[in-house]
Amino acid sequence: MSGLDAIGLQVIGGALRGVAEEMLAALVRSASSPNITERRDASSAVFDPSGTMIAQASAIPVHLGALPDAVSAVLGAGIAAEETWILNDPFAGGTHLPDITLVTLVAGAVGSLAIVATRAHHADVGGMRPGSMPADSRELLQEGLVIPPTRLAIGDEVDAGIVGIILANSRTPAERRGDLGAQLAAHRLAAKTLRELAERVGEVQVAAAGAAFIEYGERRVRAAIAALPDGIARARDVLEGDGTTDAEIEIAVTITVAGDQLTVDFGGCSAQVAGNLNCPIAVTRSAVLFAVQVALDPDLPASGGTLRAVTVIAPEGSVVNALPGAAVVGGNVETSSRLVDVLLQAFGQLTPMPACGQGTMNNLTIGGVGPAGPFTYYETIGGGQGGGPDGPGPSGVHVAMSNTMNTPIEMLEMAYPIRVQAYRLRPRSGGDGAAPGGLGVERRLTVLVPAEASIITERRRHGPPGSSGGAPGRPGRNLLNGVELPAKWSGRLAAGDEIAIFTPGGGGYGEADV
Amino acid sequence: MSTTGRVGVDVGGTFTDAVVVCGERFGVGKVPTTADQSVGVLAAIAEALRHAGCQASDIGQFAHSTTTATNALLEGAVARTALVTTAGFGDLLQLRRQNRASLYRLGTHHPPPVVRDSDVIEVNERMGPSGVLLPLSDDEVARVVAAVANLDVEAVAVAFLFSFANPEHELRVAAALREALPHLRISVSAEVSPTVREYERFSTTAVDAALAPILGRYLEALTGRARAEGLPEPTIMQSNGGRLYLAEAASHAVWTVLSGPAAGVIGAAALAEQSGVADALTLDMGGTSADVAIISSGRVQRRQETTIGGHAVSLPVLDITAVSAGGGSVAWIDPGGALRVGPRSAGARPGPAAYGLGGDEPTLTDANVVLGRLPPQLGDIVLDVSRARDVVGRLGAGMQLTVEACAEAMLAIGVAQMARALRLVSVERGTDPRGLTLVAFGGAGPLHAAQVADQLAMSRVLVPAAAGGLAALGLVLAGQRRDLVQSVLLLAEADVALADAAKALGTRAEAQLPGASRRWAADCRYVGQRHELTTPWAQAPGVTGLGDAFRALHRERFGGGADDRPIEVVSIRVVAERPGHPPPIVAQEAVDLGPGPQCLALPGSTVWVPKGWSGRRDAVGGIWLEREG
Repeated sequence: MSGLDAIGLQVIGGALRGVAEEMLAALVRSASSPNITERRDASSAVFDPSGTMIAQASAIPVHLGALPDAVSAVLGAGIAAEETWILNDPFAGGTHLPDITLVTLVAGAVGSLAIVATRAHHADVGGMRPGSMPADSRELLQEGLVIPPTRLAIGDEVDAGIVGIILANSRTPAERRGDLGAQLAAHRLAAKTLRELAERVGEVQVAAAGAAFIEYGERRVRAAIAALPDGIARARDVLEGDGTTDAEIEIAVTITVAGDQLTVDFGGCSAQVAGNLNCPIAVTRSAVLFAVQVALDPDLPASGGTLRAVTVIAPEGSVVNALPGAAVVGGNVETSSRLVDVLLQAFGQLTPMPACGQGTMNNLTIGGVGPAGPFTYYETIGGGQGGGPDGPGPSGVHVAMSNTMNTPIEMLEMAYPIRVQAYRLRPRSGGDGAAPGGLGVERRLTVLVPAEASIITERRRHGPPGSSGGAPGRPGRNLLNGVELPAKWSGRLAAGDEIAIFTPGGGGYGEADV
Repeated sequence: MSTTGRVGVDVGGTFTDAVVVCGERFGVGKVPTTADQSVGVLAAIAEALRHAGCQASDIGQFAHSTTTATNALLEGAVARTALVTTAGFGDLLQLRRQNRASLYRLGTHHPPPVVRDSDVIEVNERMGPSGVLLPLSDDEVARVVAAVANLDVEAVAVAFLFSFANPEHELRVAAALREALPHLRISVSAEVSPTVREYERFSTTAVDAALAPILGRYLEALTGRARAEGLPEPTIMQSNGGRLYLAEAASHAVWTVLSGPAAGVIGAAALAEQSGVADALTLDMGGTSADVAIISSGRVQRRQETTIGGHAVSLPVLDITAVSAGGGSVAWIDPGGALRVGPRSAGARPGPAAYGLGGDEPTLTDANVVLGRLPPQLGDIVLDVSRARDVVGRLGAGMQLTVEACAEAMLAIGVAQMARALRLVSVERGTDPRGLTLVAFGGAGPLHAAQVADQLAMSRVLVPAAAGGLAALGLVLAGQRRDLVQSVLLLAEADVALADAAKALGTRAEAQLPGASRRWAADCRYVGQRHELTTPWAQAPGVTGLGDAFRALHRERFGGGADDRPIEVVSIRVVAERPGHPPPIVAQEAVDLGPGPQCLALPGSTVWVPKGWSGRRDAVGGIWLEREG
């Protein structure tokens, strides 16, 4: 290929990447629920007709590696041109039930042009608790409505029956209708832009550009892997109980660098658990892709090219590749955090990496009936990032697979019968080191009416490890009226009860000066 | 007719531009920007007056846009400032909204808050949604005043929880501080931005306090120099596109943080209107970055909050998005072997290799020099073609491209990136660029506009006359404008309370700009939603109509059927406006400039007409590029 052909393909490839970005922008702009419009818990991607990802747009890392599985599931189920399919089954292309994925096969004038997909976190898909994030689920069916890969629309004709089933299974049907509509609108926009691109440059050129972009992504990741020394690195850590018992759950990884190929092997992880910390393989793969991007090349284009150079091995029936039917809601938020910790620790043996961040999302849900009716408040709370070669760790942030914003105190107190007593950094919680870990957060709140609370947290026993001689960050704490609660807890609150969450500090990096 | 003349002066990173309009006479001045910006400002005015053949005594209005506040914020060179805030919440400026600065570069920090940790004073008091939860005692006020007096600060931000609804505690502390410490600048959140969401309000207030002493000193120096030259007191461009009296600007520093870009877009909108364009995408491209904005039905789109240098500013501003693409954007080959352009820029110093100022990396400007699309000289700078060929040729050699082919490739990729950014800006705002005119200005905008338009399937480009100094012209044309906002959190059916609040805000607007036209709007949402939609409120301050207007707007934006959920009014807004001036008409004969490829040299900028496009000049001096066929 001549240099000029390559430039032409690069320009078209950029346009394909633009389609992914544009879809996400359209979805975020026109969705109904704050979870999408404000927290941006959504992503989008463009694939070639065979299902290899060309480009993705996402503000939330946990979505990174999961869309390709959705597309293969839909291809396997027999999607035809101009059809849009829907799914959320974690064991058939999904991650956890609130994440609903739409997939459309876009036809050009000649043949199949591309596949586009969006995924959005829907705030309620039924199940045993409002918000569909139950701390105490023991099987998938308790977490909400399961949608296997299903045809939703042919062209613009949407199957009202299927939409009706989904709405009937949500506590907030109007919002679901709005969010699904926003996903469909994003797909229509993408199909239109893709067809126009094909008319302008030709379908053959679009296909060639897609292939070139995937190959380019593969070259980028291979160049980054080749820059690492060949070798094997291992790391292990634990999760502090699955919610049914306090027994620690083993998380272990072995990474092997051989030339420009990387193998990530999770052999040695515990068998899947009775609680909900199980990961479907898509979540595990997302954690690997996140770690690869952080460790090797923060500007790596998210494409199917990466997975050609990275092999993921996860034993079936283990906590990182659970069997169908397992409860998974905590796997997405907590186990994925620990997977990143062990991956970055392993990479840290081959290239300088920061110490561990807080390693949990500190999930807190409070629900009940207030003066204005039933309410559900869900929050994840930031903590300390690990110190690293670039300096001290940032304080009070989400450190890995999440990056969602907090609920402003003023908004919270106006919407719910809850009062925030304090929201501040937690002094001296970062691990000591030449570059100390970032600080955790204290969030202390009182309920004004009787309520139910559920807490899914980690790093309450073991602080986030330091690195290269740095000290660990301080573990987090959960308190009810000053009395220590376990890492995972569900229970009743009386009016006036105070919950205090102290999130972990980050690990320190390098030995502190004496 | 002796004092009807107007002068506008815009301070940019490299040049300070002045425009004088005095009856039929018109003059421009362009001088290098100086460290104390007021020196360059006066020099530019002198030059413009000379070109127009006018005297300082002919000038009745002096409008100015300054980057003093913006630069201080971007460089962190702000005044030392204390934050006085509710106990238990002293770290809010650090906690922000808890999302991290960079998704994959885990060590990246947000810029440090404008207030140091040790300068935060917590106050034992607490307001809730419906009033006092913890009373503020006189002893506590006295303790806080003494604590502030012990700090070596120039300014104080006072920001308590729920002060947008219940400001009494804030105002008591502020009054005590103002009385005891009159030498300090005091910014109070209930006065600066009485809006719900504590981090954004606290940040806006802290930024206001920290900039006030810096902007105050600059404006004092400028006013002194202006007076000495016999010029009137300057008015200052705000981020919302309206001018502000000097004393107001000095006491509302945060209103000026986007002063410069606002002036350019206001100028572009005025000249576009003169050429008959009501709906446009504007592209203001300079050396290091490009500013993009949308004009709909003749009005520049605005937004209710923004982020500057990583600091949240919760005030209405012109909706201008900066894209990191400029003439100085550097081309390079990445580890995957792909040719990339930017985001790094060679800036003004050392600048492109062709400037001969020590730059040795290939930039978009160098590519344009190689292809002969720039005149031999840009201002004082003689372009060095052989240096440009050297650096572009070196890059091309690695890809087996000739120097010309490499230059074309650099432009193709730079243009594709710009087009992608513009498309995203449009889609995020619900606009389809295809039906719009691309209005291009700034030193590098007209050079790339037609190719960008091609990528966006846009068929028309307008390069306004004076494309190189549009911001200064915008200042001469800009009217006055105040944006007032007050969070109220009332249900839409609370007619009487809403009408009272709307009337009260309208009265404040009238006091600030007597006789100005006023428009009301309200930020509404369905109860339970967390995001508001700003809804025009035609009947305000009278009652009714708001709920229906919101429902209609919500349906238009998000679709869906009838919705009878109760509606909450989060904030009320009033815009008070006094109109500006129409652009001076320099009538000329419309001319067909013929098909591309060709270059058209304008004062201060160059237009590239690619193959497949043709150019014409309209009767007011605007250059049109139109795609053939």
